[in-house]
Amino acid sequence: MHFVVCAKQIPDPETPPSAFRIDASTNAVVPAPGIAPVLSQFDAIAAEAALRIKEASEDVKITVVSMGQESAQAAIKQVLAMGADEGLLLDDPAFLGGDSYTTARVLSTAVQKLGDVDAVFCGRQAADWDMGQVGLGIATLLGWPAAIIAKDVQVTDGRMSATRVMADGFESVDMPLPAVVTVSNELGDPRYPKLQQIMRAARKTVTSWSAADLDLDPSTVGEAGSRLKLERLFIPEVGGEVELIDGDTAQEKAEGLVAKLREAKIL
Amino acid sequence: MQDASAAIPGGELSADGRSGQPATAARHSVDRLWGPAAAVAGAGVIAAAALAAAFATDAPRAEREIFFNVSQAWAVYVFLAALTGLLAYGFARHATLWALGQPVPGVLEGIDRRLWNAVRLGLAQDRLRRDRFAGIAHWAIFSSIVVLTAVTAQVALQDDTPLDFLRGDYYLFFSFYGDLFGLIGLIGVGMMLYRRYFDDYARVRWDERLEDHLILAGLALVLATGFVVEALRITADELAAHPDWARWSFVSWGFAELLHLFEFREDHLLTAHRLSWWTHVALAFGWLGLVVFTKLDHIVFAPVNAYLLRRDSPGRLTTIENIEEREVFGVGQIQDFTWKQLFELDACVRCGRCTAVCPANLAGQPLSPMHLIQDLKGHLAEVGPALQRAGHEGGDVRSVSQVEMVGEVIRDETLWACRTCGACVQECPVLIEHVPTIVDMRRYLVMDEARVPPTAQAALENMEMRGHPWRGTALERTTWMEGLGDVPIFDGSQEYLYWVGCSGALVERNLPITQSVFRLLREAGSSFGVLGQEETCNGDPARRLGNEYLYQILAQQLAETFQQKNVQKVITNCPHCFNTFKNEYPQWGAHFEVLHHTEFLARALGEGALVPKHEVETSVTYHDSCYLGRLNGVYEAPREILAVIPGASVTEMERSRSRGLCCGAGGGNMWQEEIGERRVNHVRSEEAAATGAGEVISNCPFCIQMFEDGVPAVEPEEAGRIRPFDIAELLERSVLGTDAGEASGDGSHE
Repeated sequence: MHFVVCAKQIPDPETPPSAFRIDASTNAVVPAPGIAPVLSQFDAIAAEAALRIKEASEDVKITVVSMGQESAQAAIKQVLAMGADEGLLLDDPAFLGGDSYTTARVLSTAVQKLGDVDAVFCGRQAADWDMGQVGLGIATLLGWPAAIIAKDVQVTDGRMSATRVMADGFESVDMPLPAVVTVSNELGDPRYPKLQQIMRAARKTVTSWSAADLDLDPSTVGEAGSRLKLERLFIPEVGGEVELIDGDTAQEKAEGLVAKLREAKIL
Repeated sequence: MQDASAAIPGGELSADGRSGQPATAARHSVDRLWGPAAAVAGAGVIAAAALAAAFATDAPRAEREIFFNVSQAWAVYVFLAALTGLLAYGFARHATLWALGQPVPGVLEGIDRRLWNAVRLGLAQDRLRRDRFAGIAHWAIFSSIVVLTAVTAQVALQDDTPLDFLRGDYYLFFSFYGDLFGLIGLIGVGMMLYRRYFDDYARVRWDERLEDHLILAGLALVLATGFVVEALRITADELAAHPDWARWSFVSWGFAELLHLFEFREDHLLTAHRLSWWTHVALAFGWLGLVVFTKLDHIVFAPVNAYLLRRDSPGRLTTIENIEEREVFGVGQIQDFTWKQLFELDACVRCGRCTAVCPANLAGQPLSPMHLIQDLKGHLAEVGPALQRAGHEGGDVRSVSQVEMVGEVIRDETLWACRTCGACVQECPVLIEHVPTIVDMRRYLVMDEARVPPTAQAALENMEMRGHPWRGTALERTTWMEGLGDVPIFDGSQEYLYWVGCSGALVERNLPITQSVFRLLREAGSSFGVLGQEETCNGDPARRLGNEYLYQILAQQLAETFQQKNVQKVITNCPHCFNTFKNEYPQWGAHFEVLHHTEFLARALGEGALVPKHEVETSVTYHDSCYLGRLNGVYEAPREILAVIPGASVTEMERSRSRGLCCGAGGGNMWQEEIGERRVNHVRSEEAAATGAGEVISNCPFCIQMFEDGVPAVEPEEAGRIRPFDIAELLERSVLGTDAGEASGDGSHE
């Protein structure tokens, strides 16, 4: 069997708030100096789901695919160190500035080109934009069934079963392969790589495909192909005022507080 | 655990003889008199004997028939040959097991220092006196065995060689000291018997075995029968002929006088003498035979292990060389240890001193250094022979053992519970170094098996991804600078680099400490700068957590940065940074002077650059962090600071200085969930609170955090609760007149 794990490199979600900047003119996040981008945590968990199946069965090959720039090699290497077999970087200036749709388009085209893929594992959402659409987009474009927000994934006899996390419980679904699954953090922590694997991963070469390699018309991907337009990106102003309510006794203070709360229509 | 609180400082961890700084308190000087006192006592004994001998000069020449009443005494030589053979066989068997280990470089380097260790720590048993009672008892037995062996040898020389010296005054003196040391030995045995059977002293019974009873009972019998033999000989012979000679054997003579009262028939006495003589000889050889089979082998192994003791700092962990070319990184199987580490296992006498001081063990957590060593020893005995066979046959030695050493013999949680505080290593009378052995197995867990507790994994990943271990911090490395005015960035022109460290910059509670140190540095007029955003983790937590690879990457990068910036002197906030810079960075080509801020501040006070002019009405107790105190010997600088702060009174905790108890955070436990009955920081917070002091002063960001967390747990009432501060915060109050609330930086103490 051949699994694809989609991995996205994102700005570090743990960037201290004081170091988080937005360039209003380009509507883009300014990379914080000295803070390296990281692999989206949900994608590491998706890799963990695929690796658990690989460990339990024979003949599973895992290819980790990332659409991104050269720096995304690090994210790919991280999944390789966890135990994936091959890395594939989808890198083309034409891919930049896209939305969930164009990303799904590029990734699904790559899955088609790989040819023999039985299942695609994605994180439930990328930890930067939190859209949660790319997994479903890939499934739609490929015409495959999909299960989203899974906390447990099993593959047996050509079928995939997944336990999905719902607001009020769990839902078990079962679908034929090939299929797409998006994995949630309830699955558990991604594994810590063994040093042997880290070193093996470091020596592996990651294949790189451009838009031309994928036979994609540049006008259908990236910013040009986006259907979603970002109007404005900004850090919301969160303000607060503190007013101390005077009073000689506790009762007076409480009465003053009640009056203020009524005034503000909170009570 | 009375020994842990007995105040005997100055036992060195390090083999290079670098002790703690000079102790000042009176009780410390008493301990330093131990050696001279022993010498004076010894000289006194000899002088008294010589004097007594002088009075006896006009007596007839004293002598006796050697092997009086005993025929076929040559049989003793058969015993001796058998014993020698047994010892040779036994040690050869041990040696073949040690040989399974990896090579140890440098055991033939610094031989003078090593021999001195063998004498001081091995023969002179310097460590033993850290438990005074056991130290005296052991010395009594040790000296007795040495002297009585010499006595026996002289008898043999007199009888079986042309030498003829056992006569006259020397014979009388010989009779005297033979009895004296027999008595000393019995007193030692008595003390040991008391502790094993009557005292409520637990550690000797934590892993009690048949051999412990055999050794003690056997020695008691050997010494007692020695007196019986002598008493019977005197009764049967000397008492009548030369009563004045007999008195020299003062113990046996007493018994002889007693026996005399019964008026036994002479032939009965002679028979009894023969019987007891052979019993004594058989027991003595039997007891010596125990050396091969029991913990008595420490007679040989302890001094050798003292010779093998590391020569570098105890704060330094060994480097895995050429890590990128290795197949196995840590120690997962017994043969991955060095032969010295295997040898050490055999030296252990199960005395339990290590476990008695282990912070994890004190908190009821799953680590006992003694049991760890014994478990490894048992495992070696179990799989060693099969490993040897596989080795000879060229088979795959890695698949020999059916049990996993790391995971089954030594459980993961045992390895993670270690604080690397070095208390066990410091107490061990036979010089076992537990910490490197534990870290070697951690390395296997982390790098080979990737079995890491989730929170420790998060810290490791964070160091890898973000260059610091504090996952989720909202602070930046420059946050602490706010409101301090101009903070100079180090550019190579300043004298000192002030190394703030990840904890000093990224953990809220530590920011006021960093600021205090900064303001004091500025007040002292020193030339210094900081790295600000350019600081990264120096790798220490990764190394202690077992990720040597990550440590090497971080350390090499930072060492390069230091060289580029021409760093010559560094002041650190954190004893862990201090230790790794001082003891581990020279290996990466980064040679610079390292001061902990306590050392710098003490120096600045001494030079008058800082003046503690404001009265600080407070009572404090001082907590020695392990990495500044025990592992680097800095006990005095912080106490010098405390001594000059007007108004501050200091109460020491029972466990202090070299006996200080870890706060619980060492060895990467800052980032782990504790498993066990209690938390170490609760134990230590209780000890601090028990002093009745208003503040517990430390020198380490981890210790401060552990106290901040531990104190409210053991003192739920906020009023009157002991408050944790760094020594820089306290000193700032006196130098700059800030108040404690300000210095603590947050409002939680108001």
